[in-house]
Amino acid sequence: MSEQEKGPGGMSRRDFLKLLGAAGTSMAFAPFVPWGKFMPNPSSVTLSKVPVILPDGTQANLNTYPINHAEVITYPETADEVLNEEAFRKWQFIRLPEKFGGGRKDVSSFRAYSMVCLHLWCLWKYWPDEGRMRGECPCHGSMYDVKTGTAFIGPASVQAAPSNTLAQLNFEADSDGFMFISPPTWGVNDNGVVGYGRFA
Amino acid sequence: MAVSLERQNGLLTFFTWIWNELDRTIFTAIKFSFPSRFVSPFGFLGMLTFIMFVTLGLTGALLMFYYEPIMTRSWDSVAFINDSVPFGFHIRNLHYHGSNAMVMLAILHMYYQYFSGRYKIRNEILWVTGVILGTVTILEAFTGYDVIFSERAELAISIAASLTNSIPVAGPMIRELAFGAGFHDFVLRFYAQHVFILPLVMLGLMAVHFPRFLVFDVPMVMAICGAMCLAGGVFPVDLGFKFEPTVPPGITVPEWYLTGLYAFLRTQYDKFLTGVLWPALFILALLVTPFIDRYKKFSWKDRPWITAIGITGISQILVTTYWGFYIPPDTTIPLVERLVIDPIYLYTVMLLLVPLSFGFTLMMIHLAKDAERKAKLAKESAPRKVSPINLSIKWTNWLLVALLAFQVFLNIAAYNAFLSGMNNVNLWLTGVILITFAGFFHLYRYGMAQSKQIPKPPSFSTTKAVESTQKSLPPTNESEESTSEKPSRQEH
Repeated sequence: MSEQEKGPGGMSRRDFLKLLGAAGTSMAFAPFVPWGKFMPNPSSVTLSKVPVILPDGTQANLNTYPINHAEVITYPETADEVLNEEAFRKWQFIRLPEKFGGGRKDVSSFRAYSMVCLHLWCLWKYWPDEGRMRGECPCHGSMYDVKTGTAFIGPASVQAAPSNTLAQLNFEADSDGFMFISPPTWGVNDNGVVGYGRFA
Repeated sequence: MAVSLERQNGLLTFFTWIWNELDRTIFTAIKFSFPSRFVSPFGFLGMLTFIMFVTLGLTGALLMFYYEPIMTRSWDSVAFINDSVPFGFHIRNLHYHGSNAMVMLAILHMYYQYFSGRYKIRNEILWVTGVILGTVTILEAFTGYDVIFSERAELAISIAASLTNSIPVAGPMIRELAFGAGFHDFVLRFYAQHVFILPLVMLGLMAVHFPRFLVFDVPMVMAICGAMCLAGGVFPVDLGFKFEPTVPPGITVPEWYLTGLYAFLRTQYDKFLTGVLWPALFILALLVTPFIDRYKKFSWKDRPWITAIGITGISQILVTTYWGFYIPPDTTIPLVERLVIDPIYLYTVMLLLVPLSFGFTLMMIHLAKDAERKAKLAKESAPRKVSPINLSIKWTNWLLVALLAFQVFLNIAAYNAFLSGMNNVNLWLTGVILITFAGFFHLYRYGMAQSKQIPKPPSFSTTKAVESTQKSLPPTNESEESTSEKPSRQEH
């Protein structure tokens, strides 16, 4: 390209046409497909409403599930036992103690929090003993409020929001009292992000 | 080539043919030199780093035969490699210590270029790609020790993920896209990054980073590989404890090249600032160095500000690296409190190091210039004080025989250690063999150079015109030295 052909804008007409051609070609070859969808693992993204299955294989029922009691549930569950071992799929399924309203015969007396401690990802669990009634992490002693899932003591409690509140699941129940997990949305303003947290 | 090619058999013809055909490949654009005497390894630390890269590629490929990147099995598969696979211990230790050596050599390489001002004279691209390459090297090493999925690996993964999460707005999304959403994904994806994606990035960067002058110094390569084996023999890498999410982990700290960063994280300040912005700032400062360095000279003595900034950086790295390792031994305090570093204390020390380093630099420059001046004076008035070691051909030969015999002895000892199942002794002895070979090769090289120095024939009387031009040349001894020092200049 010789100097004379350059327009006042610094780009000649031929350059501009070339650029237009290049842009057009690349547009033609780029299909409008969201390729980025490849990256997140679909087994933890495609979620549906599923029954709450307790470790003994039965479905949880709000009429029979004991007050002030916790079980480990797996969500989202897969057919692969290695994947089901995943700490990030483990939840504490808790019926609140009587004094926090665990006696109500509806889903509001239940909580399910991600078992992955927000500090360094150990698995915490719920302690129903009188005077405890809280989630405790065995590794560095973070403790979680069973009503909200927010850490109130230990290293997880000093982390800035959203990393001080556990991700949670929401429930639905049918007329017989059988419980289901509502499809969650993994986001800090919704159900939270496992291992990262949730805005309370 | 030392081999005489006067009588050619078929094989030699074939090799010569290949050598000539290489003319059409990229290799002719690269100038390889095989130094015929000892040259300072500082000049070719980059090549040594690359040798480590190749070694890691080979040992890593072998580890892939047994390693399983599955959450529940990765630790067990590494334990199997370490304890049951024949030579698995060796391969794993070489891979581990090779990674440390590579990071260390890369850091030394960078600082040598930094203080000698090699990033000037149109080497800016080399410098910038080198800094990026160094960063990727550390990421590569980091992903490597994560895939074992021991307690320490889990800590490292969770810190990596929490740092990614801490990036404003897009953090959690980047975390999910890059690392996945659980331990199973993390192990598998860190593995994919470790064995393929990051090495591929490194190879791509290397294609740009390689200068046109390369030194392949056999003794130094052998010595470095030997040192790797020695380290593996004396400090065999442990397995750590398998990560169990319900078992409280013991005290674990990251690898030495990350404890500096860990010290900042331990202040429990904002994660994004301490864990992402500070290292990014450091890397950025290195990246722009060639463009802010406006000194016309190369030596560190003539670039006081740049040298002082470099020394400040090194002192801060050293202090934080140690601080990241240090955990108060008082076990009566809860672990979490022992791990916390007081940010005011840490940042005050960091700031204090700035004037200290500047003062130190000024002092060093002053002392060095003074020493230089004195050396110049001494050179003018007195003979050289350095006395070279000169071995006769006879003694060179005897030494070569002795070194060969020592290697035979070491081989027997190593074999014996292997038969007795003493893996680390075997590895250590292998290191000694390689280092002995380095010495052997160096001596051989010296002997070859000596044998070429044929005694000078008595001078012929030539025509007067030629004689007069020869007279103005410097004495033969001096000129020989200046030519032999040349290879260390441009090399990388």
